[in-house]
Amino acid sequence: MKRRQVIQAIASALPIAGGIYSPGVIAQSKPKLAVRGPLSMSGPFASVGTLVHEGNVLGAEFFSRSLPVTMDYATIDDQSDPGKGVRKVVEAIEVDKVRFFSGTTNSASALAVGKEVYKAGGVYVNQAGADSVTGADCNKSTFRWPVATFGCVEQSVRPLIKMNPQAKRWYTITGQYVFGEALLANTKRVLAESGCEHVGNSYHSIAEREFSGYLASALAAKPDVLCILNFGNQTLEVIRAALSFGMSRNAIIIAPWSTGLDQFDALGADNMAGLYFGGLYWHDLKTPGNQQFLRLYAEKNKNKPPYAVASAYAAMQMIAEGIKKANSVDPAAVIKAMEGLEYEGLTGKERIRAGDHQVLRDFYLMKGKPKSAMRDAADYVDVVSSGQSFLPLEQTGCRMA
Amino acid sequence: MNAYIFPVLNGLGLGMIYFLMAVGLSILFGLLNFVNFAHGAFFLVGAYLCYQVSVLAGSFTVAIILAPLAVALLGWALNKFLLNRVITMSHSAHILITFGIMLVLNELVITIWGPLPQSVQTPAALQGIVQFGDFVYPKYRLFVLVLSSLIALALYLLIVRTKFGALLRAASEQGETVSLLGVNVGRLYSIGFALGGWMAGLGGAMAAPLRGVDPSMGMEALAIAFAVVIVGGLGSFGGALVGGLFIGLVQSLMSMLWPEGARLMIYAAVAVLLIVRPNGLFGRA
Repeated sequence: MKRRQVIQAIASALPIAGGIYSPGVIAQSKPKLAVRGPLSMSGPFASVGTLVHEGNVLGAEFFSRSLPVTMDYATIDDQSDPGKGVRKVVEAIEVDKVRFFSGTTNSASALAVGKEVYKAGGVYVNQAGADSVTGADCNKSTFRWPVATFGCVEQSVRPLIKMNPQAKRWYTITGQYVFGEALLANTKRVLAESGCEHVGNSYHSIAEREFSGYLASALAAKPDVLCILNFGNQTLEVIRAALSFGMSRNAIIIAPWSTGLDQFDALGADNMAGLYFGGLYWHDLKTPGNQQFLRLYAEKNKNKPPYAVASAYAAMQMIAEGIKKANSVDPAAVIKAMEGLEYEGLTGKERIRAGDHQVLRDFYLMKGKPKSAMRDAADYVDVVSSGQSFLPLEQTGCRMA
Repeated sequence: MNAYIFPVLNGLGLGMIYFLMAVGLSILFGLLNFVNFAHGAFFLVGAYLCYQVSVLAGSFTVAIILAPLAVALLGWALNKFLLNRVITMSHSAHILITFGIMLVLNELVITIWGPLPQSVQTPAALQGIVQFGDFVYPKYRLFVLVLSSLIALALYLLIVRTKFGALLRAASEQGETVSLLGVNVGRLYSIGFALGGWMAGLGGAMAAPLRGVDPSMGMEALAIAFAVVIVGGLGSFGGALVGGLFIGLVQSLMSMLWPEGARLMIYAAVAVLLIVRPNGLFGRA
């Protein structure tokens, strides 16, 4: 083998060794636009990161087809550490001159990365859950696809109350951190407005794994509804514990913030019947945008797409739509084009609100089916309600410069 | 009355699971003077094997028998081909090597089963609750409490009342002397590792229907196991039992009295105990 071939082979392997994952080469004829995803491909958040990476790759490949540039996407592994993620993002900005970033695996990372991208005048679209992303910590560069906790609770708790007017007594189990507190504050507000009684709350640490003790308190309060205000594995563990204690006999169980399919797989079809989940995405949505996404996803996968893949694809779409409208890859022009932009997204018509860069889109309330009623292995729920609720701009706390 | 019965019963149930998680670790240290950081990975592998076998065989009973046996085999093999070469080294070497094994096993689990959590269905006969008036308790947790107690008793009898147990205890004190008596001490250690692996694997298999399985459960189990062993005293069977029950009760009671601090109180209790009794409740210096 010639020396040059050896050097080229080593050079092409270096990005992989350095923690940068480069998918296959896209079309050669169009100029390339570097897009990077600061995701966790290792560490505790890797389970989310690998899915978001998949969605980013899928989105980059598809949307590049209709753009004058090729979105040259690569993932930067933050190793589940926001500090490391920020350092790598800064390196990408300063050394590789990257100005477009997409995706996140946790809100802390998204907020930190957003600040750096803003300093560089770039564009960053993410799926962080923290309200402050389009609230007090908003900036001109950052855009967010998921809804804030206000919308989550409005479109899950409130419809549930309307469906079950006799269920007046609510008990909450809340993760004691910013996200959980935001969910709790909104839940208390909706319960008070609806004439329901908040009969108790148990906080738990975000490291907690054993919830039987909290359920004892919940059982003692004899609630009509057990409301789980958290996300991720802890939500699942509370639900499992609640079911094992027979709470579903006498109470409705709802988790207003869930990530859908991957959580339902983890919970198992035998446990889903009658449970309520709030969700940002469900693969069964009949929108044109989602049907297109499902076709693309089915080309490489036999299963249905989970939320993390869908949200990453949606984030890439936002960047692509902005470039298309601006007819430019200049970040300032793209940002201006994205503000107020309306497009056909996964959830139907989606619009990016100019004042805080929040995407205005539907949120869903889903109800678990009995196993016998499932049409296929992923048919866990029916969407029983959907709608849009967003705080008026002046109440979000966003003061965008 | 229910307000007190429930957290105590729940704490005992939790404590017995923690005992299962920790006793293997305590045996290995107490009997073999070996610090095994791969113990959490044994718990993890046990849980995942339980998941896989229950999916393939459609039976949790088969899974809970086979999964711990497989982990026991893993423990035996690790000792025979690797750890017996380092058993006479310092504890630092033990920690380094077994930490490496833990990382390898963790990544293997993720490679085979993926990073997302999975569910293990509670067997039909153990689903539901037992109810006495207002008091309810899951049948499966009662099963865990009862089975763990029986296993603890069996293990105690094995170590204290059998020739094998006597040899194991003797070898931990005077390995060379025991060897001179014609006993294959290396094989004894391998069996000890297998036993420790079996206990951890059983703990993982029994925990799987309670919590599901996910790649991070091994590290968490290791942290609790070390806390139990520290409270009870390194190398003490009785200490592992008392330590497990102590931590289970602390966690259960605090989750009722001060939920947000329940987890903190586990480690705070460990810290206080170490100040009062640096070698743990039943540990030796």
